[in-house]
Amino acid sequence: MSLNVARARRNEALLAYAFLFPSLVFLAVFTYWPILRSIWFSLHDVVLGDPEIFWLGAENYLRLLDDGLFWKVFANTALYTLITIPLAILVALLLAVALDSKLRGIGLYRSAFFYPVMIPSVAAGMVWVFLYAPGYGPINEALTFLGLPRLDWLYSSKWALPAIMLMSIWKYSGYFMLILLAALKLVPSDLYEAARLDGVSAPQRLIHITVPLISPTLYFVIVIGLLHSYQIFDYVYVMTQGGPADATNVLTFYIYQNGFQYQDIGYASTLANTLLVFVLGLIGLVSVTLGRRVHYLGER
Amino acid sequence: MATVILQNVCKSYGNRKTVHDVNLTIEDKEFMVLVGPSGCGKSTTLRMVAGLEDITAGRLTIDGRDVTDAPPQQRDIAMVFQSYALYPHMTAYRNMAFGLLKTTRLSKAEIDGRIREAAEILHITDLLDRRPKELSGGERQRVAIGRALVRKPKVFLFDEPLSNLDAKLRNRMRGELKRLHRELGLTVIYVTHDQIEAMTLGSRVAMMSKGELQQVGVPMDVYMRPANTFVATFIGSPEMALLPCRADAGGVLGHDGFAAGVALGGTELPSDVILGVRPEEVSFSRTAGMARGQVERSELIGAEALVEVALGEDRITVRSAVADAPEPGEQVGLDFDLARVRLFHAGTGQAIDRQG
Repeated sequence: MSLNVARARRNEALLAYAFLFPSLVFLAVFTYWPILRSIWFSLHDVVLGDPEIFWLGAENYLRLLDDGLFWKVFANTALYTLITIPLAILVALLLAVALDSKLRGIGLYRSAFFYPVMIPSVAAGMVWVFLYAPGYGPINEALTFLGLPRLDWLYSSKWALPAIMLMSIWKYSGYFMLILLAALKLVPSDLYEAARLDGVSAPQRLIHITVPLISPTLYFVIVIGLLHSYQIFDYVYVMTQGGPADATNVLTFYIYQNGFQYQDIGYASTLANTLLVFVLGLIGLVSVTLGRRVHYLGER
Repeated sequence: MATVILQNVCKSYGNRKTVHDVNLTIEDKEFMVLVGPSGCGKSTTLRMVAGLEDITAGRLTIDGRDVTDAPPQQRDIAMVFQSYALYPHMTAYRNMAFGLLKTTRLSKAEIDGRIREAAEILHITDLLDRRPKELSGGERQRVAIGRALVRKPKVFLFDEPLSNLDAKLRNRMRGELKRLHRELGLTVIYVTHDQIEAMTLGSRVAMMSKGELQQVGVPMDVYMRPANTFVATFIGSPEMALLPCRADAGGVLGHDGFAAGVALGGTELPSDVILGVRPEEVSFSRTAGMARGQVERSELIGAEALVEVALGEDRITVRSAVADAPEPGEQVGLDFDLARVRLFHAGTGQAIDRQG
């Protein structure tokens, strides 16, 4: 009897591994092997196309600490994340709350706000290059119409990064909105009714009831947002190529520059590993600080 | 004085009218039960009083003030929901404090005092640190009632508060609610589909069906003198038997199973009437009896038996001592307590008032 149970269990485990095997192979070839390879590269002097490889030890990492441009790029990425993600989530939350109604035609509005997500990022980047164009761009036309000074946007080292942030908020918030909207649908309406009877105002309901009750989803959105924003590449590539004067240069773009423009694969790998460790650390920090404050609805 | 007055209150969703011209006065310190089958409009009516649904037409006053269009928080009411609607991320204490903290200028000490007092009354002092998911159904219900109590509102609204509890707990909470009402002198509007809750809790009950008020009165009165066949069959378990009869001018009722004379006291009967007989108003006859029928089934429910007898096309339930209960298939004689039975118009279902 127990022998049979043990055998059944072993068979079940074997079956599970058999199912997992293809995806494990895939992960190993395309994820874990490249990570190991890039650690190995980072400890050597590797030049793209040059078969000669020299051992450098920690030299690439020491060079990184002394690289002023790395710190600028690092600061740009951090600033981009710190502003874009909270604002995108805030916009998404407000949109989701506004769109969580049974009004006629609400589906149309939801699609409208989700639409930016469906546009390929390169195409979206091109559209915003046009929108930001200093001479004829609609945004500057609007500023003039409002009696405000025109800006050079992507050509200004002061405004280029904010311009990319604004466009990213537009792109991200629709995606976050959809996820948050799904979470809002799960909050029982009688909780809001109870709060309304208590006289709790709409902003207070949002802060004290909605936000805690969708906190698992908010937490998920924050983590996804951090991952996305630290990997931002496409908008920078399409819109500014990191310029002007590295004002919009970000980590992934800097990695690309070092690896494929300067052929310095060793240093590019060093940067990539640093980014990986930093993002993992950041997500660890978020899960320790925010993760503890997440409330799960649980059984009701 | 927290009198609640509904005048010609209506509710429509588009063209569909769900509540028709409800006129109802709930007196100060009264326990008014709105009862009826699901979909009868009782919950909608309660939610209109709460301000959670707009009042399509009509007028609502609470304590003399017209609150027809007032938002919920300006009505000075508190509500206990069927689902309890406790905030799952807050402790019991915080659930009770939340509304007061956010919307009143009471000091923390005053709020604490109110919560302790309510917790004492509801026997939940030991549970105040717990979150809803750590509480049983009955405990959650108490916290939900506590959250209403600390507000010290003029009117308490209950929307099927006991429906999610098991039968035993429901019994106990019913007693608790009655005690709270008596001891604290609350004005309560209570919605239920359970006629036993309505009968045991209500100072008065308001019966609703299809969005219309059918009858309002003290529970025994509604039980003894139902206004129509709907109320007659909804209140009382097992339900009242309704036997269609032909009536002659002399007050003699003719039915396939029997013929019987009722005292009319000067009332004229229509030619077609319905005779309403409760199970306790009919008994097995030792002689031939007024009516003869065949026993269909016999259910022993402990101290007594409920025996269903076929009278022609109709069925009638008889309460009987277990020892006297006949077997299915037996022919039995029945006697009606003609002084207590009631008559209804066959066409309208309205009760016929007999002076006598």
